[in-house]
Amino acid sequence: MKKNLYFEDVEIGDDIGPIKRSVTDEDVIEFISVREKKITPSRFTSKEVANSEGLPEAIVPGPMNIALMAQVLTDWSDTVCLLKIDVVFRQTVPHNKGLTFSGIVTDKDETGGSTKLGCDVVMENSDEVKLVIGTGVISLPNKP
Amino acid sequence: MLLDLHTHSVASDDSRATVEQYIKWVNVLRRKGKSIDGFVLTEHRQFDHDKNYASLASDDGIIILKGAELDTDTGHFLVYGISEEITGELDFSDVNMSAQNLVDICDSYGGIAIPAHPGRAGIGFAEYLDGGVTGFETVKSVEQLNGSNRPGEGEKAESLIKAKGYLGTGGSDAHIVSAIGTCMTSFEKEIKNESDLVQELRRGRFTAVRLES
Repeated sequence: MKKNLYFEDVEIGDDIGPIKRSVTDEDVIEFISVREKKITPSRFTSKEVANSEGLPEAIVPGPMNIALMAQVLTDWSDTVCLLKIDVVFRQTVPHNKGLTFSGIVTDKDETGGSTKLGCDVVMENSDEVKLVIGTGVISLPNKP
Repeated sequence: MLLDLHTHSVASDDSRATVEQYIKWVNVLRRKGKSIDGFVLTEHRQFDHDKNYASLASDDGIIILKGAELDTDTGHFLVYGISEEITGELDFSDVNMSAQNLVDICDSYGGIAIPAHPGRAGIGFAEYLDGGVTGFETVKSVEQLNGSNRPGEGEKAESLIKAKGYLGTGGSDAHIVSAIGTCMTSFEKEIKNESDLVQELRRGRFTAVRLES
């Protein structure tokens, strides 16, 4: 991973990531506990509750998925400033399964001194099924 | 001539790509040496007669045509050659419209309806045929290659094509910019408009292809 990318270093079509990881039960509880002091069993934390709601297993909360999608952009370079992220949930995201997060630069806005980049971001499972797709807008600094 | 027959712009609620962004990305693909001549916008459950992409298309030499992806009682169908008569006869927002009626109306008014991602569970044509649905004698093609297929869906589509002797189209089912062109349809003849597209689909002079790597 490059740590100090500048706007001039990047071209449309450049790959971002990939990042491979899974989301553990503990990761989900840690995320939820930021807002809730007492974690009550839900489809996000309990397989039993998830099953009772027709889900095969506990799932990762939507806001956490958005955060993970954003992370592929912010981890690309220390110089990234995330301006916007917009995702579409295509399938539920399970706990403890291999996930691949990747992005690609789709637009480079150089008008009026802008240093904004448009990016596609995708979260796939181990079968390369797209679970979450989205777009992000980031900015990078100009070279000093 | 290579056309992506299945794409969604932001007019579809689950897409995040504008038509202008797709055009920009097609030019990126071309600069990388890939071949793609254009795409068909197949928005979910809608068709806008007033939208015209001709000026955008001509600026970049990219063909942009319009169709629709409709929900039916027999899965999703891609519809091309949509006329005022077709939108007058059918409620495109009806998620349970009769697929047989859709096919018949299209046949009557110069359009064509083709089962989309036929191997997909719940919304694919194959599952309904397996369940005993009959008819659809005028359907000669299905979407063979879909860029958003999940494991097993392509194989199910291939089995259907083999069993029924269908022809196969290709489309990316793109909902984000960088997905466009991943699957396409290669036509023997040049396609300039929706009428040409329907004619060539009816004549069967095409094959499904993947974007060359």
